[in-house]
Amino acid sequence: MAYDRRQEHHEPSQPEALRIEYQLEIGRTYVPVGVDRTFAILDPERAETLRAWSSALIPADGELPAAGEIGAAEFIDATAFAAPRIRGLLINAIDRLGRQAVAHTGNRFADCPPDIQAELLRSFEVKDSGAAFEMVRDLTYEAYYANRRVLDELERRTGWRYQVAVEGTTMEDFDESLLERMKTVSPHYREA
Amino acid sequence: MNREGEADVLVIGAGAAGAAAAWSLSQRGARVVCLEQGEWIPPERRPKSHLDWEVRTRRYWSPSPNLRQWPADYPVASFGADPINVLLYNCVGGSTIGYAANYWHLSPSDFRVRTLDGVGIDWPISYQDLAPYYTRNERILGVAGLVGDPWSPPREPLPLPPAPLGNQGRIVLRGFEKLGWEYWPTEQAIATRPYDGRAACDFRSFCPFGCPPGAMSSADVTYWPKALKNGVELHTNARVREISLHPNGRARGAIYYDVEGRAWETRARLVLVSCGGIGTPRLLLMSTSSQHPDGLANSSGLVGRNLMVHIQTFAVGLFEDRVDAWKGTWGGSLSTRQFYETDPRRKYVRGFVMSGCPGWSPLNLALQLAPWGAQHHETLAHYLNHEVVVFLCGEDLPAESNRVELDWEHLDEFGMPGAKTHYTLDENGKRLGADMIDHGRRLLDAAGAVSVRDFGLSPLIGWHLLGTARMGTDPLASVVDSDHRAHDVSNLFIVDGSSFTTSAGVNPTSTIQALALRCADRIWQRRRDWQ
Repeated sequence: MAYDRRQEHHEPSQPEALRIEYQLEIGRTYVPVGVDRTFAILDPERAETLRAWSSALIPADGELPAAGEIGAAEFIDATAFAAPRIRGLLINAIDRLGRQAVAHTGNRFADCPPDIQAELLRSFEVKDSGAAFEMVRDLTYEAYYANRRVLDELERRTGWRYQVAVEGTTMEDFDESLLERMKTVSPHYREA
Repeated sequence: MNREGEADVLVIGAGAAGAAAAWSLSQRGARVVCLEQGEWIPPERRPKSHLDWEVRTRRYWSPSPNLRQWPADYPVASFGADPINVLLYNCVGGSTIGYAANYWHLSPSDFRVRTLDGVGIDWPISYQDLAPYYTRNERILGVAGLVGDPWSPPREPLPLPPAPLGNQGRIVLRGFEKLGWEYWPTEQAIATRPYDGRAACDFRSFCPFGCPPGAMSSADVTYWPKALKNGVELHTNARVREISLHPNGRARGAIYYDVEGRAWETRARLVLVSCGGIGTPRLLLMSTSSQHPDGLANSSGLVGRNLMVHIQTFAVGLFEDRVDAWKGTWGGSLSTRQFYETDPRRKYVRGFVMSGCPGWSPLNLALQLAPWGAQHHETLAHYLNHEVVVFLCGEDLPAESNRVELDWEHLDEFGMPGAKTHYTLDENGKRLGADMIDHGRRLLDAAGAVSVRDFGLSPLIGWHLLGTARMGTDPLASVVDSDHRAHDVSNLFIVDGSSFTTSAGVNPTSTIQALALRCADRIWQRRRDWQ
């Protein structure tokens, strides 16, 4: 029996072994991006760790903000609120990262300098067997690349006009003179 | 549980084929009822109505039914040496609500692959049989393009001019010209001008993620408004459990669950199944009875067999200059069919097409390429708006071992089984796929790419789901005849991607809808048999 503690060779399961296909869990959820919100499931200590984590994944660069500045941690928290089955995975991952930081540096993760945070995350990523790192990374990317402030700066840097996907644009008509050579090619479809 | 009265025709499935057939039959005066397991998708649910559209495409708009998990979706599990990533939509309009609208004709040779190349089997119809229906369909939808490409037989003009090329199209053109390869504007079911009351395309790109103006010719904005005007009765949220039978073995109608899970039976003189390459065999296999213990219309044992998905992938070129990849139509600017036919110099039979497309959007690209940490921004800026994509699509030969089965371990919300696919790519397909990728890379190299990457062949993209209730003349080797009538049940018809005898090597929706219009004609011509 799964819950029968009297059985022989019983070993309690470990939270590190928690495996959840987070994409299946969050597929049905939709959490708006760029909405001002507070944390719904994370306490302030864990929220601070997650904010620092997301900022380490996408740090600030000139006018581009760090992910933690644009509400990525709150977005992740809101996603876990909407998809409760990922909460354990998320909280456990935050706690593991926090313990790892204290064990290696004596400091909380959020208080470590960026290079040490990156080192801790690289180590965490390698050891993470439950896809928590991948989940936090993907959700951070989602929050970041739907943020207007980020997209404005990205447009300035790359010319990517993000509003066209929503508002449309105009283009020059197809220029048939480009087909000049092709119009000299005789039909050669395969007869059947 | 009976609905009032008896329809002339019950259409099951409101996607590309069901919509076209329902319209065509109602146009003649048939009383048509359609059962659709999904619902209407209003414009505000389409991701590209919103700035965070990329996030929405990873949630409720995911083309994977397993991820988005709409109430109408059933689970689909994938097995085999090359498990496919099944992508489809269950709603009014079916998978056309999220397609790229590339709209090819099959070639005459596609109908005769056994005769010409000694593989697969021949279709029971010819290109000439289908040609008038291609034309009729193009006029209803408003297909954009130009006739005159060298790979097509003579045909009627298309109603709309081709989509603009843009920078990325000119880059692809440069590659074609440098190699001396042939090319032609990609035909697309997109209104490049206002058409039949629909707005013109405003070049938002990323067409599969919703077209709020309705310029993309999905079945919900083309056939369905006309069909409803003709009086077709469309029931949404109607999950069909089984096709019901008269004691004499003829189809009587279908039993379905409404949105609350209550069972109803709709009766009709004739039943037309159009649930797609996965949904159609699933429904037929669920419709067991003492007369049909292995599923309806399955005396051949081929219901669900010969699943074909096309060999599809992408090659992606990085260019120094900006390519304006944020605008245009996503499905393609220029395409080539130069490598479509069997070439004895190559080590495989049949061939493939290539279409130039814009590159990827910020979130999609970041998830593909941008590492987390200090290099993130530099990497993304290096690629974003500097990539051109070549979509590659090749022919997939039928094999009985590639199949769809019922999955009783994973059920939908009403206790009906999910679907399992089993798929293994054969040696011919592997060689074709490798050569196709090589050609895509060569095209981008010739266009001046500083580097080229590709997506390989794993997992295979499962958008084009074909062949699982195929047409044929031999009842032992096919499920339906040349008119789409089931060999085993005289008033049961099947038309959709499952009807394909062989897959050809092009996007299939144009052919699916042409087949549906032809099927509707055949049904109407023989209406005295069922009236």
